[in-house]
Amino acid sequence: MTLQLQHVTKKYKDFTAVDDLNFTIDRGEIFGLIGQNGAGKTTTFRMILDLQETTAGTITWDGQPVNAINRDVLGYLPEERGIFPTMKVEDQLYFFGELRGMKKAELKKEIDFWIQRFELEEKRKDKAETLSKGNQQKVQLIASFIHKPKFLILDEPFSGLDPVNKDLLKDAILLLKEQGTTILFSSHQMDNVEELCDHLCLLKRGVSLFSGSLLDLKKQYGKTRLAVRTEWSTTQLLALDGVKDVRVEKEQTVLLLEDERFAQTIFEQLSNGRYIEKFSLDYLSLDEIFKDKVGGQHVEV
Amino acid sequence: MSKFSLLMKQLYKSKIKSKSFVLMTALYILVLSVAVFWSDIKELLMGDDKVQQIAIINDTTADLSSLFVASGNMEFVQDETDVKVLEKQLKDEELTAIVTISDQQGQLHAEIATYTPLKLNDQTALSSVLQYAGQHYAVQQLSLTPEQAAQIMTAQTIISTKNLNEAATDGKSEEEKQSGLMLSYVVGILIYFFISTFLSMITTEIASEKGSRAMELLLVSVKPGTHFKAKIAGVLLLALTQMGIIAAVFLVYARFIKDGAVWKAAGEIVQELSIGYVIYAVLFLFLTILLYLIVGALFGSLVSKVEEGGQVLMPAMIITIIGFYVMLTGLGNPDTLLIKVFSYIPFTSGMVMPMRIGATDIGVIEPLLSLGVLVATIVVCYVFSLSFYKRSVLTYSTGGVIQKIKTVLKVTT
Repeated sequence: MTLQLQHVTKKYKDFTAVDDLNFTIDRGEIFGLIGQNGAGKTTTFRMILDLQETTAGTITWDGQPVNAINRDVLGYLPEERGIFPTMKVEDQLYFFGELRGMKKAELKKEIDFWIQRFELEEKRKDKAETLSKGNQQKVQLIASFIHKPKFLILDEPFSGLDPVNKDLLKDAILLLKEQGTTILFSSHQMDNVEELCDHLCLLKRGVSLFSGSLLDLKKQYGKTRLAVRTEWSTTQLLALDGVKDVRVEKEQTVLLLEDERFAQTIFEQLSNGRYIEKFSLDYLSLDEIFKDKVGGQHVEV
Repeated sequence: MSKFSLLMKQLYKSKIKSKSFVLMTALYILVLSVAVFWSDIKELLMGDDKVQQIAIINDTTADLSSLFVASGNMEFVQDETDVKVLEKQLKDEELTAIVTISDQQGQLHAEIATYTPLKLNDQTALSSVLQYAGQHYAVQQLSLTPEQAAQIMTAQTIISTKNLNEAATDGKSEEEKQSGLMLSYVVGILIYFFISTFLSMITTEIASEKGSRAMELLLVSVKPGTHFKAKIAGVLLLALTQMGIIAAVFLVYARFIKDGAVWKAAGEIVQELSIGYVIYAVLFLFLTILLYLIVGALFGSLVSKVEEGGQVLMPAMIITIIGFYVMLTGLGNPDTLLIKVFSYIPFTSGMVMPMRIGATDIGVIEPLLSLGVLVATIVVCYVFSLSFYKRSVLTYSTGGVIQKIKTVLKVTT
C-alpha cells in the first residue's frame, strides 16, 4: 500500500502552486512535508484528497488513481481547525465516524478509547464551541482518524498545542503507525518532523528541494555542526581553518564547519591537550538544513 | 446509512430543534389560529363598543320612522322631540348625535349635531342610513303606491354570463374569481414566507460549515455533489415538515372547532376553484421553494463565513419582495400586463401564476407554459450550481459577490 506522486503539477492562471512533485510513501511510514507558508503543502494535500484537480501528473494509491478509490480509507486533519460549533463532542465523533461508514457499536469502543487517551472525558457532553482551542483541536484530530483510515494526512497537527498535548499527539501518531496507518504530515516545527518522520519532502514555492530519507538529507550536509564551550572569542574561532560561521548561544558556541574533517584539528587547537567541557560534533538539525535550503531568515515558524 | 442520508439527517435533526424553526412554526400556528377564531376574537376585541344612541328629529311630513331601525351598534331614539332635552342628553353623553331631518326643495336634508365628533365608522354607517332614507323620501314624494315604491327600492339587475366562443371554457363567475383571488393571496404569502425562511436557512447552513471549516473534513469523505444534494433535501424536508405541522393543525381546527364549519368553508372554496387549481398551487409552491433552495445553496458556497451570508442573500430577497408586491397589485386588478409578465418569470411565477389561474379567465396553455419555464429553470440552475458548487465550496475569498465569483473561477480553472 503506497501513495505515489508522479510529476504532480498544479497551475493557476497566474502562478504555479506545485511544480513537478514526485515522492512515494510506503505503507506504515510517517512522511513529513515541510516548507514555508505558501510552499504548496495544503494544495498538495488537497490534490491527494481529490479536493482539487491536478493540472498534470498522477497520484495513485496502491496503483489506483486517488479519485477512484474509496474515500473512507483516507483521513484528513485540515490546517484550519473546523468542527461543528454547536454539536456535542461525542455526537461530533459519532457523526464523522458514521459518515466514514463505521457502525455505532464499533465507534463506541474507538471513541471511548481516544476520548480517554486525550483526556477529554469531562468534555464529552459539551458543545464544541465551549471547549478551549487546544481541546477543539484534539476533538478534530480524533475525528480525522476515528474510522481507522489506512492513510492519514495531518496538516500542521502540532500548531496551537501545549507541550503536554504535543506529547499526547506524538504518542498517538506513533500508535497509529504501529497499527499500520500510513501518515503524511506537514509542520513548521522541525523538531517534531525530526522525531517522527522516516522520510520527508522539502518544498519551496511549489518546487521540491529534497525528497527522501531524513538521514540521507543530513548526510548531504555531513557532520558539520560543532557545539563547544570555550573561552575563545568569536573572531578567534572564525579565524580557525574550516570554520564557516560562528553563533554564540546561551551555554555554548556553535561552529558551522565547511567539512567534518576539520573537526579533529579544531579539537586539538581548542583543547590544547587539556580538559574541555564540551565538544560535540553532529549532523545539522533539520531546522538548520531547512533554513539553509529555503534561504535563511525568511522562514516563518 | 448512506452518506447522503447521514448528512441530511444531521441537518434535519439540528435544525428542527433550533429556536428559529420552532418559533416560526409557532408563529404560523398562531396566525392560523387567529384566522380560524377571527370572529370570536373580533367579538372579544370590539364587542364592548358602547351602543351609540342617536336621536332623530323628523321635521318633514313623511313617515320615515320605519327606516331608522337599530343596526350594528347604532340605536335610534325617535320619540323625544324636545330639542332642549335632547341637547342636554347630548352634553351628558347619553346621546351621541342629534339628527334633524327637514325638507329642502323636495330633497331630504339632514343636520347632524354632536357634542364630540363622530368616529369614522359611525359617520359612515349613519351616512348610508341617511342616504337610504333620502331615496325613500324622494320616492315617497312621487306619490307612488307602496308596491311601486318597494319595487323601485329593491330593484336589482340580474347578471349572467354567456361565452359565445365555443373553444374556450366558460368564464369564471365573479364569486369564483373573488375566492380565487383570496386563496391565491394566501398561497402567495405562504410562498413568500417559506422562501424567506428556508432560503436564508440553507445559505447560512452552508456558509457556517464553510466558515467553521468543518467543510473540508466533510468533503474528504463526501463528494461535493452529494453534500449539495443532501443540504437541499434536508432543508426541503424541513419545509415539508413545517407545512405538515401547519396542515395538521388546520385539519384539527377544521374538523373539531365550530362543528366543522371551517372544513365546510374550505371545501366550498376548493370546489369553487376546481381541483386543478389546488394541484397547480401546490406544484408552484414546491417548485418555487426548490428553485430558491438551489440558488441559496450556491450562494452559501460562495461566502467565506456566516457573517457574509446577508450580502449574497440580498439580491434573492429583493426578487421575492418584487414578486410579492406584484402579487399584491393583482389583488386590485389581476388582469394587468404586469401580472402577466411576472407570471412567467420563474423566480416570481410561484407567487403570481396561482393568482392568474384562480382569479382570471386563463387558458390551459399559460399555466403549463409557466410551470414548464419554472421546471426548466430548476434543471438548468441545478446542473450549473452543482458544477459551480464543487469549485466554490472550498474557495475562500473576500470582496463582493462578483469578486467572489471571479476568485472562484480564477483559482479553479
